[in-house]
Order: sequence, then C-alpha cells, then structure tokens
Amino acid sequence: MPSPFPTSESLRADASKPVDLIDGRAGKLTSPPAPAPSSSEAGPRSRQRAAWESPEFGAMYEEYSRPIYYLALRFLSDPTQAEDATHDVFLKAYRKLGEFRGEAALRTWLYRITINHCRNLLQTWHRRNMVTNADDSVWETTVSATDNPLRVLEIKELGQRIQRTLDALSDEYRLLLLLVADEKLSYNEIATLTEQTADAVRGKLHRARKAFLAHFQKIA
Amino acid sequence: MEPNASKLQQRQETAEQTTQQPPRQEFATVEEMIRYDAAQCAPPTAIAHRLAESISKEPKPARSWWRRLLS
Repeated sequence: MPSPFPTSESLRADASKPVDLIDGRAGKLTSPPAPAPSSSEAGPRSRQRAAWESPEFGAMYEEYSRPIYYLALRFLSDPTQAEDATHDVFLKAYRKLGEFRGEAALRTWLYRITINHCRNLLQTWHRRNMVTNADDSVWETTVSATDNPLRVLEIKELGQRIQRTLDALSDEYRLLLLLVADEKLSYNEIATLTEQTADAVRGKLHRARKAFLAHFQKIA
Repeated sequence: MEPNASKLQQRQETAEQTTQQPPRQEFATVEEMIRYDAAQCAPPTAIAHRLAESISKEPKPARSWWRRLLS
C-alpha cells in the first residue's frame, strides 16, 4: 500500500514545480488578475489620517506599518491579535526611539520588536488556550478595498490558503519565509533577526520552501 | 432573423468579455506569492488612530536640568 505521505524525492520534485493557486495542481503559481497595489497606495488609510503628535513618527508608521502588520497577521494567524500587536509594537518603538542607536536599520529594529512581541504572545497561556475569534468578517477587513467583488473573493481565498499553509509549518520556517519575502531584508539581516548564521538561513529556507509547497498543494 | 442576430451579438459580447479579462498573475517562487499577498493586506485604519491616541497619553520626556535653566 503506498504511503499517504510524500517522499523526499517527490517533495524535491514538487518544490521545483510551480503550483496552480486555484486548484492546487502542478503548473504555474497563479493568482487573481490585476496588479498588486503599490506601497504608496494607502487605501482606506488615506481617507482619514491619524493626527500624530510627531510627524516623524507618523512618517515612520506610514512607511513600516504594512510589513509589520503583515508579519504579525501571518505569524499569529489572527487579524484581531495582529491589529493589537501592530499597535503595541509601534507604541514600544515610540517609547524606545531614544534608545535606537542606528546600528541596525529602522526596519530591522522594528522587525526585532515584532518578532519578540509575537513570540511572547504565542507562548502565553492565554494564546494557547483561547479560541480564536478570527471569523470571516474579520478576515475580510484585511483585504484592501477593490471594486471587483470576484477579485476580493479570490484574494481572500488566496490569503486563507497561504495562512493555512503557513500554520502547518513550524514557527521557524514560517518566520523565515515571511522575512525573506521582504525584499528589503538581506540574508545577513534575517540571520541576525533569527539568531543564526546566513548559511543556516539559506539551508533552512530551502527546506521551508519545499515544506510550504508540499502543504500548499495539499490544501485545496 | 432577429433572435439569431441577438444571439450572435450576445456571443460576441461574451467573447469580448472573456478576452478582456486580464491574465492570472503567475508566481515563480513562494516568496513572490507571499509578497503579493502582503501587498493585498493593508493594516486597518483603526490601528493608526488607536496608536495616535495612546501616544498622546504617553508622558512627555523630562527636560534636562540645563534646558530648564536656560529657558
């Protein structure tokens, strides 16, 4: 009787094979049409801006809130907790801004605070025992506003499929994939953030990608 | 002839709509797909407002003795 689990050979083959995003068959990794909004496209945020006491801090929030929120969202797998975490991370950053010596890039420093904060949350008794309130209506708010309802649905489905795949991975693999997806982070910065060598990051990333693809193909 | 003409027109319109649909985005790597997903996830507006409110309640940093002396 053949094993239900993929062999290392099949995983290796699958990792090199692109995946159809919609039905999970091998093929190209595909997504809903239309280009992704640029970072300058603020969406609902632009409608009513927050009144910042410090314009410099406001500029920092505008620049980094998107990657920080996304990391928290996919790492914690809960939009409500991700929202709270983003708030807490930036509040911590505001309090500690005087201690920031500029030895690391601001982005790396913010990521460091986010990773520590999310790890603490994941380790708390409350998090491990509570029932998530991430229902569909909460998830919908995470998708940027768009005119096409079909596209909203496709984007939502893609996001949920990515989330389910990331949830199936270890915290370490999930974090590495999320960090490496940020093009502005170098391997050395990822290595510093995850407290290992750049070579170790490369090796683990290779395995993380294969594991991601294997799970992604299973989740229809 | 009328019903046939309208059917033909309908078919043409459907064909036009199909060809007008932009092609699905393709991803070569896992990172590319995650990057695309990240671009779709905007942080809720409420965070900025909550944060601005929290910051306004934060104690102001104390002025140093020499600044107080000079003012």
